[in-house]
Amino acid sequence: MPRLRLTGRGLWITALIVPPLAVMVTFVAYPILSALAYAFYDWQGLQRGEFVGFKHFHTVLFTEPFASWTRNAFINNVIVFFSLMVIQNGFGFVLAYALWRELPGAAFHRVAVFLPVVLSTVIIGFLWKLFFHPIFGPVNQIFRGMGLDFLAQPWLGQSSTALGSLIFVNAWAWVGFPTLVFLAGMQRIPTELLDAARMETNSEWVLIRKIVWPLVAPSATVVFILLFIGSFNWFELPYIMVGLDGSPYGSTDVLGLYFYRTAFGNQSAGVQDFGRGSALAVLTFMFIAVVAAFWTIRLRKREIQI
Amino acid sequence: MARLSLRNVKKQFKDTKVLHGIDLDIGDREFVVFVGPSGCGKSTLLRLIAGLDPITEGQFHLNGQLMNDVPPSKRGIAMVFQSYALYPHMDVYENMAFGVRLMGLKQTEIDARIDEAANMLRLGELLKRKPRELSGGQRQRVAIGRALVRKPDVFLLDEPLSNLDAALRSDVRLEIARLHRDIGGTMIYVTHDQVEAMTLADKIVVMNLGRIEQVGSPRTLYETPANTFVATFIGSPRMTLIKTSRDGNRLGLEDGGSVVIEDLPNANANGTLTLGVRPDALTISRDGEEGFAASVVYTEYLGDDAYVYARLADGTLVSVRTHPNALYEADEKIRLHVDAAQAHFFDTQSGQRLVV
Repeated sequence: MPRLRLTGRGLWITALIVPPLAVMVTFVAYPILSALAYAFYDWQGLQRGEFVGFKHFHTVLFTEPFASWTRNAFINNVIVFFSLMVIQNGFGFVLAYALWRELPGAAFHRVAVFLPVVLSTVIIGFLWKLFFHPIFGPVNQIFRGMGLDFLAQPWLGQSSTALGSLIFVNAWAWVGFPTLVFLAGMQRIPTELLDAARMETNSEWVLIRKIVWPLVAPSATVVFILLFIGSFNWFELPYIMVGLDGSPYGSTDVLGLYFYRTAFGNQSAGVQDFGRGSALAVLTFMFIAVVAAFWTIRLRKREIQI
Repeated sequence: MARLSLRNVKKQFKDTKVLHGIDLDIGDREFVVFVGPSGCGKSTLLRLIAGLDPITEGQFHLNGQLMNDVPPSKRGIAMVFQSYALYPHMDVYENMAFGVRLMGLKQTEIDARIDEAANMLRLGELLKRKPRELSGGQRQRVAIGRALVRKPDVFLLDEPLSNLDAALRSDVRLEIARLHRDIGGTMIYVTHDQVEAMTLADKIVVMNLGRIEQVGSPRTLYETPANTFVATFIGSPRMTLIKTSRDGNRLGLEDGGSVVIEDLPNANANGTLTLGVRPDALTISRDGEEGFAASVVYTEYLGDDAYVYARLADGTLVSVRTHPNALYEADEKIRLHVDAAQAHFFDTQSGQRLVV
């Protein structure tokens, strides 16, 4: 029988791997697995009841009013994802291109664009909640000052504008991230390659569409995937700016808020229900994991060696 | 048809002057090589002609039309880059089709041109491959093909051989020469390698420190270099410059012997004269009082030739071509004699050629 010997190197590797592994198991793997387990039981507060199989999944997906709440939250997540995809990533690309072409002030803007990314979401949420204040907030004061009174709206207080305002704030805060990734992708393009393209076209648009974008797109994979995960995990910003209910009238409700309300309870959602909450968490997790994995594999294939 | 004329062309990057007034005419179907050490401005000049960098001052005409403000894609000029600069996300066909499509040609015409170029460059098998699946030589041919299909008036080639290994280099050099003969366009070729310049060019433009030192055929440059820079740049091994003091027809080195040359330039009748000798212009003797005294440093045996490197009294290292059977020991004392017909004379101060 081979003897198990701990050599110096093996000891090192063990010492380095065990602590993070322990943390991962305790705080990531175990909660996910236990949430999966919780979803199959009835709960009385913190007291576990009977095994009920897929009842909670059925409830949140097919029994009213839970089903329409789930649908509403999910649709809002989808809206958030697509809007951010266009606004945050689109604007990020434009900004990156402007920075890359070294327009005047590029050095300053390179820092400025990325600055909000470093701020805590809690700070950003509070800041913009104040900015959007219907009476005292600078947003409306600026609109009024410019004579655009019709634009002075209770941005966070009406169903038609609340979700849009949240999306705007998220894009403002995070646009620096895609900008940085796109900029890095652009800087990787060899100068001679662009010179070669300039020998064949003097249209900036053709250059962007046929040369720059195809070469940068693969490096956007990580941006897309992270945005997808972030959009369906969206919690902090709406929680701080519009509260747990996704007010007004659920117009800003997303899966994250809905799950939290359900699992831990609040005034409007009633008592806590770990069972249904866990079912929601498991569904969200499965959805994100499957789609993100599928996309990662597909988009990876497009990557180009320069 | 392509005639280029550059008049007093200057280029400045911020505070650095790179080109100090270039005057140059290039005729139709000419193969012109810009050659010079790195940093001499040859690539910059090529980029100005391409339109990739703006001309600071002066004028560039192509076929009589002022080109200074015409964008690169509208000049009728195609360029082959040192790194080939193929579009990595397009296959070989797309790489070649990209430019001509933007020119608005019909699909049938595009296919015909790509077919023709692919045949000429033996790219037929590779049309569906991506650049990363090609060898260095194949990429090179695609880069040339991409230039060919546009049927430009002028081809620019920026050190196209420098990324190839030595064996491939001479093949591609021949291929480029053949290509120029077949398509007959005007070609401007930049290199720092004087062998490429000598073998390819109809006309060589020797540049140094942002100025043109001399323009001429390879033979002109080799046989009548305008100054010491051209003299030492063209030819391998290099021409040796010997700074001599002159007394009538006698050119001497202090404590280093002397040579008598019947026909010397009239200028500097008494004083100094720089004597330029290529390895062929010298002969060696082992004794006697005539000739420059030298001591052998080492001998380079090349099979059909041998080069003897020897040091003169003033420390100048001279290379002499000899018969491969001639054996010289290190530190051996020898005498060097000059073949007057093959000697070059330069003004010691200005370095300019002196005519006999």
